[in-house]
Amino acid sequence: MIDRRRVWAVVRKDWLEISRDKQVIAPLVVVPLMFAAFIPAVVLLLGRTGIPASSISGLQSFLDNLPGGIVPGGFSPEQTVVYAVVVYFMAPFFLLIPLMAASITASSSLVGEKERRTIEGLLYSPLSNRELVLAKVLGSVIPAVAITWIAFVVYALIVNTLGGPLLGGIFFPTWTWVVVVVALAPLVGFLATSLIVAVSARSTTMQGAQGTAMFVVFPVLAIIIGQSTGLMLFDAAVALATAAVLLVVDVVAFVLIVARFDRERIITRL
Amino acid sequence: MTAQPFPPPAAASAAETTTPTVRASGLSKRFGERDVVSDLSFSVAPGHAFGLLGPNGSGKTTTVRLLTGLLTPDRGEVTLFGEPVTRTGSDELRRRIGVQTDTNLYETLSARENLRTWGALYGIPRPELDDRIDAVLTVLGLQERAGSLVGEFSKGMRQKLSVGRAVMHEPDLLFLDEPTAGLDPEAAADLIDYLKRMIRSLHTTVIICTHQLHGLESLCDDIGIIRHGRLLTAGPVAGLLARRWPERRQQLTVGGDTARAREVVASVTGRPPTVDDAGRLGFAAGEDGVAAVVAALVRAGIPVHAVVPETPTIEQLYFATLEEGTGA
Repeated sequence: MIDRRRVWAVVRKDWLEISRDKQVIAPLVVVPLMFAAFIPAVVLLLGRTGIPASSISGLQSFLDNLPGGIVPGGFSPEQTVVYAVVVYFMAPFFLLIPLMAASITASSSLVGEKERRTIEGLLYSPLSNRELVLAKVLGSVIPAVAITWIAFVVYALIVNTLGGPLLGGIFFPTWTWVVVVVALAPLVGFLATSLIVAVSARSTTMQGAQGTAMFVVFPVLAIIIGQSTGLMLFDAAVALATAAVLLVVDVVAFVLIVARFDRERIITRL
Repeated sequence: MTAQPFPPPAAASAAETTTPTVRASGLSKRFGERDVVSDLSFSVAPGHAFGLLGPNGSGKTTTVRLLTGLLTPDRGEVTLFGEPVTRTGSDELRRRIGVQTDTNLYETLSARENLRTWGALYGIPRPELDDRIDAVLTVLGLQERAGSLVGEFSKGMRQKLSVGRAVMHEPDLLFLDEPTAGLDPEAAADLIDYLKRMIRSLHTTVIICTHQLHGLESLCDDIGIIRHGRLLTAGPVAGLLARRWPERRQQLTVGGDTARAREVVASVTGRPPTVDDAGRLGFAAGEDGVAAVVAALVRAGIPVHAVVPETPTIEQLYFATLEEGTGA
């Protein structure tokens, strides 16, 4: 049985700590802003000039390899560039937001508790292993997902405001984006956080814990590269299939991490 | 007997009349090649305060971790409230326990936020939580700093708050690890008073680990002295002191010739008295013996300024036990 109040107490405590740490807050604001506001604004404002394709790494390759039929018919070359970039090219980048946010907050969470030795108090408390791991995961995943969703709303407002006149009205979001933001982002964030929490229970440094997030970053990077080289288009079907696989992986990972959570190992290596 | 090496044949019957809150039997724990705790046995009755005394590195913290199920003993077993402590089954038992260490507080949270977190973890009902926090902060003299970040607190204030954190859910069993470290004498005395009142009113069982021995007599019913992971002695304070110093000691202050006074005292008691740095004579005697010594001194023309019964302290017992290195 999970006592939700105990879990919530730790989650709330973690959020308070995160909200008062400027070193954590700064990247949580800056990086999503880049993806949600800066890049789409540049693409939409300079879309007709050809500058974005030459300045954003991988974008020209992506445009060259764009499969036929994914852009609404009748679009001019300029409209095609803007639509393809906003709707397809940027989608996997939004998976990096929960990854980045989760890796920052999760690694400062459990390892931070070990570094400050406050973990000892939690281990003496009535929290079960499952409750403690769940609290630490949710404490990072929920802000990561919230940031992703806020970024998504900002992104939607910007691309529709700036791109609407060019593309003939509101064109965003698409179903691919709905799946990416609603299902994939939380699942990716959960997996990254779970792995970081697992390593944090054994690692004594924040760097070691953060490095773990790379195991999740690599598949996301593979999607981005696959997309930009035309090997695979990240559409709704791919996103749904990925979400289904991730759901299973997340559940298995969580169960394994709880089973291997060893209080004695933690307390004797503080 | 309520806190004792386990099982002491003479005193076991008294402890058996009620289930001990804590019973450790043959506890041993080894880290690598080092025996950190070795064959530790004692029990603590409900509502009693047990002082686990020992120098740094003697195994006190490891003992607490074994008793609370945080560590699994290599040998031996622990029961709390009559239930065995196991690695996987002690989550709910821990709800009835409070543990104070110096590392339990979150520095970027205020005192109130810290207590709110722990109150929720220990299941204090929401409607009661604010009142309970206010009560704890008031008793500890921290009410005015309730909204201040703990990172801004002095060591003494943190110490008080960490004790408050451990007691706010009114645990049945409370572990305190050096609770008066860093406190000025007045604050330490206040804290001891608070703990005594809590024990009396809530019937809380307390295990206090410390090497700060001053004032423990008024708090601890029982003590155990540990060194190198081994319990050198354990039992009720009064019993241990009486066993160690069976005769009542007196402290005598005289005027004039101390050497002559020593001879007079020795002629009455049959043993030469001790002399401390201040020139006071120490000897063992009951009330009749004291009267005889004073009369002899007066007859010898030696002025008697004071005769004060000497009450042996836990501190004296501690050092005597460590010096001897065996049970008292």
